[in-house]
Amino acid sequence: MKILVADDDPLSRRMLEKTLHKAGYEVVAVRDGSEAVEQLCKSDGPRLALLDWEMPKLDGPTVCQEVRKKKDQGYVYMILLTSKGLKTDIVTGLSSGADDYLTKPFDSEELKARLRTGHRILHLEGRLVEARENMRFKATHDALTSLFNRGVIIDLLGREVSRSRREKVPTAILLCDLDHFKRINDTYGHLVGDEVLQEAARRLVLSVRSYDYVGRYGGEEFLVILNNCPAATAPSRAEEIRTAIGGSPIETVSGALSVTLSIGLHQADNWGSRPFEELLHEVDSALYAAKAGGRNRVSLAKPEISSDQELVSRSTQS
Amino acid sequence: MNLSTSSILDIADLLTRVDDDHELLVELFFIFRSVFPAHLQSLADAINVGDVKEVQTESHTLKGMLLNLAAPRASAVASRLEEMGREKQLGGMKEALAAFQVEVELLLTQMEECVNGLRR
Repeated sequence: MKILVADDDPLSRRMLEKTLHKAGYEVVAVRDGSEAVEQLCKSDGPRLALLDWEMPKLDGPTVCQEVRKKKDQGYVYMILLTSKGLKTDIVTGLSSGADDYLTKPFDSEELKARLRTGHRILHLEGRLVEARENMRFKATHDALTSLFNRGVIIDLLGREVSRSRREKVPTAILLCDLDHFKRINDTYGHLVGDEVLQEAARRLVLSVRSYDYVGRYGGEEFLVILNNCPAATAPSRAEEIRTAIGGSPIETVSGALSVTLSIGLHQADNWGSRPFEELLHEVDSALYAAKAGGRNRVSLAKPEISSDQELVSRSTQS
Repeated sequence: MNLSTSSILDIADLLTRVDDDHELLVELFFIFRSVFPAHLQSLADAINVGDVKEVQTESHTLKGMLLNLAAPRASAVASRLEEMGREKQLGGMKEALAAFQVEVELLLTQMEECVNGLRR
């Protein structure tokens, strides 16, 4: 584990360096307070720090204050080193944001013991962050497919349409629906249906770029947002996504099942001032048109959709 | 602290603190010898011009180094100088500095003997 040693006294710095190195730490040694703040505020900076009280530029308590103020992610456990022994000094040090203090000259066993306390605190913080992240994931993702849930994907759509309008970059919206999904559930049971949904979700994610969004919109419906996707290329991208599902059977406990996908596609280089809810309604109509047109196809949304605006994309299997 | 009864260099304490690492001990002595003269000069200059803040800072730094080296007598005199600086007590500072220089000379001699002893 990385540890920062900040001390302008070369003797003290060297003693700490050697002691900590022997104890298995990766030591980052600096000579003044501003270097200490810089190191500790790096995203991959040390999470443990030993700070001398008296240092050039910034003293130890000020370093603690600065780090607490600037660093919002990843707690840093800071121990002040001091030859000051007065109660008022200790109170000042701890009030500045230090977690502990150690009196100079330090005893190596005491130092290691206090650092173990630091480890425990950091470990606990790690578990809390992990638990918070798990909760955040559960609140924003669909439990079965791990895709964004309906609320989040609709929110993302609103934001992306606004961004597209603001930055004048094109966006494509795809509303996708697995064909005859009810029949799969009725024939093979819901567990197989779940397997199909999970595999379809996996294929959808693999068929888009890392900065595109895929969410579960409803039972077997998925909403895909392709960022920075020009209107001219959107249909071919939609075709790729359709093929990603229908191109090969999905393996389930009941055997390989052929599943196809119908897609409503809305694409524009400029959305104008239209609300995203209206776009969503239109893409839904396009999906309906794809279903009505025989399924396993991509239909292009327009404010007034008609059959001659439909893209011919029916697969040979359908 | 009674200077006459305390040791100039508590080698046993220092060896414990460096986990009996003789190489590190020699390295620490070398570091002290190389950085000490500049701090002593700054301290003397500050006393000559009556800069009590600088007296406090320099003597604090020297005290820290000497405590790390387990040199109780010299660190006690440095501590006295630090306190005089904090109390803005100019009277007696020059005498305290002279006493400090004597203690450090004794310390440097003991360090050298110690290094020679470790090499034998």
